[in-house]
Amino acid sequence: MGWRFMAPLLVLLVAIVGYPLVYSLYLSLTNRSIVRQDTSFVGLDQYQSLIHNSDYGAAMRNTIVFVLFAVALELVIGLALALALQKQRRARDVTRALLLTPMFVTPIAVGLMFRFLLNQQLGAIPQILSQLGITIDFFGPSLALPTIIAIDVWQWTPFMVLLLLAGLESLPRQPFEAARVDGASTWMTFRRITLPLLKPVIAIAVLLRGLDAFKVFEYVFATTNGGPGNATETIQLMIYRTGFGFFRLGEAAAMAFVLVAVVLVGVTLLYRGMMHQKGAT
Amino acid sequence: MRITRRGFVVLMLLVVAFPYAWVVLASFKGPEALNDPSTLTFTPTLDNWRGVIDGGVLDSALTSVIVGVVTVAIAVVFGTLGAYAISRFGTGGPGTRFGILLSELMPPAVLVVPLFLVAFNLNLRDTVIAIIASHLTFVLPVVTWFMIGFFDAVPKEFEDQAMVDGYGRFGAFRRVVLPQVLPGIGAAAIFAFVLSWNDLFYALILAGGNTATLPVKIASYNTFRGVELGTMCAAILVSVVPVLIACFFVQRRLVRGISGGGLKY
Repeated sequence: MGWRFMAPLLVLLVAIVGYPLVYSLYLSLTNRSIVRQDTSFVGLDQYQSLIHNSDYGAAMRNTIVFVLFAVALELVIGLALALALQKQRRARDVTRALLLTPMFVTPIAVGLMFRFLLNQQLGAIPQILSQLGITIDFFGPSLALPTIIAIDVWQWTPFMVLLLLAGLESLPRQPFEAARVDGASTWMTFRRITLPLLKPVIAIAVLLRGLDAFKVFEYVFATTNGGPGNATETIQLMIYRTGFGFFRLGEAAAMAFVLVAVVLVGVTLLYRGMMHQKGAT
Repeated sequence: MRITRRGFVVLMLLVVAFPYAWVVLASFKGPEALNDPSTLTFTPTLDNWRGVIDGGVLDSALTSVIVGVVTVAIAVVFGTLGAYAISRFGTGGPGTRFGILLSELMPPAVLVVPLFLVAFNLNLRDTVIAIIASHLTFVLPVVTWFMIGFFDAVPKEFEDQAMVDGYGRFGAFRRVVLPQVLPGIGAAAIFAFVLSWNDLFYALILAGGNTATLPVKIASYNTFRGVELGTMCAAILVSVVPVLIACFFVQRRLVRGISGGGLKY
């Protein structure tokens, strides 16, 4: 019965996701390149050479650091903001609308906006800081990655706020009233009631945001293009350059599949944890 | 407590608003004023706006709208039907929900190489069709996933009753269940449109030429020849302003729509 409703979706998904996925897997086992005529099957050679590719290792490390720090910061700030907004009464709709806007802005625009806002010569922020006697090179070797993390936090904390606020507003009221009657402090109420009840929503929010953060591309593309050195090189950017800058499609495909493997392991662990908790409650 | 809370919200509002304010100012600045970033006193000029309109930014905006609308329309039709099957009949077993989630998290880097080659072979490079197909790869799973949650929230008794009253299975779906999830479809469609509107990666690789979408166009102002800062700021605003206006009107619905079912797993 259900298959009649399901069939169109399934056919479309196989065509646009399934087929490219299999094709990509095949490509990763060849030395396919646009600039060369002959393509031969090379087995796992592409994967083997990735192990010894230190640039790829650096890009993977940068990507993982980026995802961990960005998502953690977004969760903490987002939760604080969602709690504050939930209690807010005055100018409620305007405040919410304005605070949610960054997630709707094209990421490339956000990247370019911050590139010039933080630029040493043209940027407003370094200029204001230098009047205070502080000189910071936001895109220098040690700060470039934190800067890009901060850009991500600016854009995507609103997404956390949106999900957490929706979660907070659909929580049952009784436990909170009971806590108030019992004279529990604000902190206690938060630790013992809000947080446990909100856990499923937090898990979903972290999952969605984390998966998306792995795809980071625009900010780096707009600001540092991977530099200085390879301090901000991320996987997605490296694949873009390998595949469409140097046209080594087979190698790019292999890089992508290693990323898939890393993401899959992470997601499976998180999903297991979520299901486990769901079973426990 | 209350003071801290208000202070925090106000601070966050400033952090959000500051970059916007700077971009708006920069889009009206001449070359000289742009070299002095913090100045607030300058003679406003419309040169940047003229430049960006002459540069074809409106064509790119139109391309982005066409891509977004077609992508969302296809995703809503296919995704809603599929989600109904998964929610009501458990079609494909419990793994299906996870499978849908999985296809959403495929990094674009995995799919883009084959999509590029297929588009190349079918002579579809630099066309709207190629971009729509690539955007469906991430929009379709998101819409489906949202809709599964919304259908889960509709009590089964509704359609049982409708079928007792003489509707067929599809009639019950169309007349009774679908109206229940309409707000959800709205929320999912808006979310999906924004995803498509914002994509740079696929659009850049599959159609960087004549059919540049708005993000590709904006990126093109950031060249090696040096940056046309004022024009770029105007172009950024062309992409931001419509979305911000839309966001203002849908924000409430979005919060409600998501708490209505999109968060279930």
